[in-house]
This record gives sequence, C-alpha cells and structure tokens, in this order.
Amino acid sequence: MDFSIRAASLDDCKDIMRMIMVSRHVRAARNLEQDGFSKNPFFHVVIAEVPEQHRTKEGHTKIGYALYFYSYSSWKGRSIYMLDLYVMPEFRGKGVGKALMSKVAQLALAAGCHQLNFTVADWNKPSMDFYLSQGCFDVTASLGYHCMRCEGEALEHLAQP
Amino acid sequence: MNFKIRRAAKEDCKDISRMIMELAVYEKMPDQVKISHEELERDGFCQNPFFECLVAEVPEEHKSNEGFTIIGYALYFYTYSTWKGRAVYVEDLYVMPEFRGNGIGTGLLSKAAEIGKKKQCVRLQLSVLNWNTPSRDFYAGKGAQDLTVTEGWHTIRFDGQNLDKLANEAPKD
Repeated sequence: MDFSIRAASLDDCKDIMRMIMVSRHVRAARNLEQDGFSKNPFFHVVIAEVPEQHRTKEGHTKIGYALYFYSYSSWKGRSIYMLDLYVMPEFRGKGVGKALMSKVAQLALAAGCHQLNFTVADWNKPSMDFYLSQGCFDVTASLGYHCMRCEGEALEHLAQP
Repeated sequence: MNFKIRRAAKEDCKDISRMIMELAVYEKMPDQVKISHEELERDGFCQNPFFECLVAEVPEEHKSNEGFTIIGYALYFYTYSTWKGRAVYVEDLYVMPEFRGNGIGTGLLSKAAEIGKKKQCVRLQLSVLNWNTPSRDFYAGKGAQDLTVTEGWHTIRFDGQNLDKLANEAPKD
C-alpha cells in the first residue's frame, strides 16, 4: 500500500486531534494547536498519509501519526521521547507504524540525540511484542526503573514555596 | 543547616557533572555516563535548552570534605501529555550523602514543582530504581504514584546500534 510520512503542519491539527481522540479516548488538550505549532513548540508530529484512492469511508487520508518531544539524559545527553504512535485500525499491518517510528528515529539522530524512549503498559502485549521485535529494550524490566508521577493535590502541596 | 536553592549557571556545569557521576555510582551504573560538563554547557544554556537545572549551595563554612559548596542538584525538562498539556520531568535529583536529612532534596524537588506550576505544568514525573528504597519512600511521602506498579508502565528504549538501524529503515523522502 502506498503511503507517505512527513512532518505535520498546522493544517494537520484537526486530523491529529481526531486521531488522538480515537486512540486515547480523550479529548486533546485545548491548546494542542498552540502547544505544537507555535514558534517554540512543546512537541512535534510526523503524519502518515495515503493517496485519495485509499482514503477511509469518512474521507480521511491522514491515517497515522507519531508525536514526540526532546528530552535529556544526564548520562547520554540529548534524547527524544515518543509520546504517541498510532495507526488507524484499517491501515495496520502494512508497515505504517514502523515507518512513523523510523522517521522519528531518523529525526532524533539528525538532532544529535542518542536515545529514543517511550512507555508501554506491560499488559499491552501486541504493542510490547511489536516494539521488542524492532530492537528496543525494556528499561523497566532489565534495569528496574519505575515510572513515578505527582499530580493534583500532591503536586500543589509540593509546589508550595 | 543554611542552604540556598538557585537556578544553575553555566559555570556550575563542572559541579553538576561531578554530582551526575556520584549519582551514577550510587545507582551502580557509573560506566553508563557518557557526557561531560561540555555537553551540559552546550545543551542547557543555548537558545532552546534541552533541560533546566537547580543547584543547592551551602556557605563556605559548611563546605564538603573535599571543599565543595555546590552539594545537590535537580535536572529537569518539560514534557507533554496530549490530554493534560505540559508536565515537568525530573531527570535527576541528588544531594551529597553528608548533606542529606536537612530538607535539601525536598527543597530542590519543591522548587522544580513551583517552577513547573508557573508554566502551567499539571504533572511532575520521574523514574526511580525499584531497589532504591530510601528514594521510593521519599517520593511516596510526597504523594507520588508508582505507575509501573499501578498501571504496568514500562520505559522502552532504542539506543546505539538499534537506534541507527531503526533510523536507516525510515522511508526515503
């Protein structure tokens, strides 16, 4: 199947928000457009697009995306964190997810990054199997790092001067 | 104990690099540290920095056995949640052993949270090693949830040759 991968622009915002809602069952943050497409964006997106003849029943040609941002490792330096990787169900199994992830890896190296990190839930076997088959390693399983979060009241309390 | 928490300046990078290595030794992975103060200076103090850093400083009369007055740091950067918006990720939090138990770690973490709050960050995230009980207790005491335990989150990584290989497979433009 013919598809292309490219950096997203402001015009793609509506499609990105559509796919975020479907993939995460949540409404995207109100400021997605501003956060991702202003002068100093908080994140970047690559989009997978198919030609008109392969568009979905609803008429969409933008059928997958990867959302990432720059992070830092005090041991390795510049890194990239891939927050979302999504391909619409009817377009899976055709190498689109792999192509999106590879594009992010390529952009990571071009920016002088030495790591591409992301998070997967251990119960999400299809995703875990896919990523492991691509050559990544499970930092949590092999090194023992746990992901911690502080939010809501706990964060308010912590932020008191 | 009298101490001050302030934003790191470029000149602090040598001390930060020293403490990064001390933290890596504590985490039993000193051979994993590949960057020096030079990368920190370049990446933390450019036009669009990759990270921000806070340092904890004590007066001369409290300097460490080796003569250091910069005795702790927190290195953090901003991340994003498509649902919640901006967040703070604390990559490192470290206080030299002889200065622990004086509220310096809390001071550094709180300052990072306060700075994040001013930028509308709604979450603060970090990683901790499963065997690091003092740190796990410290963060639990601050109300942090362990998402690996509660939701099964695992950090996955591509680096080295695996990252090169993945990048080489990207579709040609």
